[in-house]
Amino acid sequence: MPVIAMVIDKADNVATCLSQVKRGMKVQLMREGRKGRIIQASQDIPYIHKICIKPLRKGQHCLKYGLSIGVASKDIRAGDYIHVHNVESARGRGDLATAKKK
Amino acid sequence: MARAARKRALRRTPRRTPPPRRAWWGYPRENGDVGARNWLLILSGTLYANPTCERVARTLRHAIPLTHPLGRCQIAPDLQRTFETLVGHGLNANAAGVIVIDHHREEGCTAEDIAHAIAKSGKRVEALNIREGGGAIEVTAKATRIGMEMLRAITQERRVEVPVRKLLLGLNCGTSDTTSGLSHNKATGWVTDAVVRLGGRAMLAETTEMMGGEGVLAAKCVRPALGKRIWRMVREMEERILACGVDLRGSQPTGDNMEGGLTTIEEKSLGAIQKAGTAPIVDVIPWAKRAGRKSGLHVMDTPGHGGESITGICAGGAQVLIFSTGGGHTINHPLMPTIRVTGNPLSAKLQHDTTDVIVTDVFEGVPIPVAGRRLYDEVIAVASGRLTKAECIHEDNAFAINRAGPSV
Repeated sequence: MPVIAMVIDKADNVATCLSQVKRGMKVQLMREGRKGRIIQASQDIPYIHKICIKPLRKGQHCLKYGLSIGVASKDIRAGDYIHVHNVESARGRGDLATAKKK
Repeated sequence: MARAARKRALRRTPRRTPPPRRAWWGYPRENGDVGARNWLLILSGTLYANPTCERVARTLRHAIPLTHPLGRCQIAPDLQRTFETLVGHGLNANAAGVIVIDHHREEGCTAEDIAHAIAKSGKRVEALNIREGGGAIEVTAKATRIGMEMLRAITQERRVEVPVRKLLLGLNCGTSDTTSGLSHNKATGWVTDAVVRLGGRAMLAETTEMMGGEGVLAAKCVRPALGKRIWRMVREMEERILACGVDLRGSQPTGDNMEGGLTTIEEKSLGAIQKAGTAPIVDVIPWAKRAGRKSGLHVMDTPGHGGESITGICAGGAQVLIFSTGGGHTINHPLMPTIRVTGNPLSAKLQHDTTDVIVTDVFEGVPIPVAGRRLYDEVIAVASGRLTKAECIHEDNAFAINRAGPSV
């Protein structure tokens, strides 16, 4: 039985896995109660964390709710685990503002 | 699995639920407000009056102390903020009577000034000063005696049936995770819509958690000027963060947010604003300011700090608050009943002791309106007198006054 991952908006390139995912497991995408594609996880994904469902190039916006939740800091393939290691916030970045000043 | 679970869940759900209750039971106040509780409030003007307030409140039944570390050596705008917060709590309809106690005179935030501002509403209020009153023990005795007389009057008041129009529902979230935007915040949004549809008011806050969702909120505003105010309010918050020269991550989203799968503040925000539902935004107000009477969603400029945010909302006049949480929470405002709801199955189990409403079945296919209705019914019940779990065990942890400047 595949793990369910919830997609919120059809533009989204991430989905939220409702249980823990192990590398190689099949993930069933669901949006508004309807089943979508099945994708294969290429990495372990912790409980309720996100899986990439459409490939992202470095610098591209990562979309959830149909809106940007940050920018990819490296290329991400569908099936990859998405979190702070490959998506960065574009807001409240005092570190970047300070670096720019220097 | 999902289909079977969905079927099971739907079988449990009655096909036709009666329409949401349009009335609740509350204590009518002189100024037209209605209280969900009938507390005698023992309000501390400054930290050096805290123990006296606590002694008085311990002696009396039906009395709660509100204490804090501020009220002295604050820069003027912060002192004003403390003053407004204390007055706001005195004015909150959940307080039937108020005794304000301070220590020395702190110009701009004396017990007298606070009591004077509260008295304008027609509420019973008395002010006492520890130095002028003959010391800590003398003032404890005086305040206890005054409080006893007040309680004799207060406890004669009875709840009456009032329309939902008289409800100001506070909205806040905490220890958010990826289940927040999918389940409990959605259910909260449904409740917001139900309350506003019946002519009531709701209050959204937490400016930090609007970062990335400003456009969505601005589009809900009844006037473009309000939308501009939201954009400005979030920009100012972001500028304050940038001025600190650090990466916001780690503070927002917090460590527990990231553990819960939230990657960025934008993701957290877009989940957080689901609490707003589809209701129109009718006003945008600063921290701790009293909300206007217009039905709809009021937005308050508060930080993401849960205790400070809900303290601002309580000063704004909310009688009940939904605290929507992914990780589960113990947060509870002493004066404003705080209903904790979660849709995260693990948290529902781990934080069962202080979780009032569970909506985990959303992930088994139960529709949001069904979960929302469950939460709405709890709001009406709690507003009408049902104790929340945290109230039962005096989990009074969330009175925290926001400050911007240093102690001086």
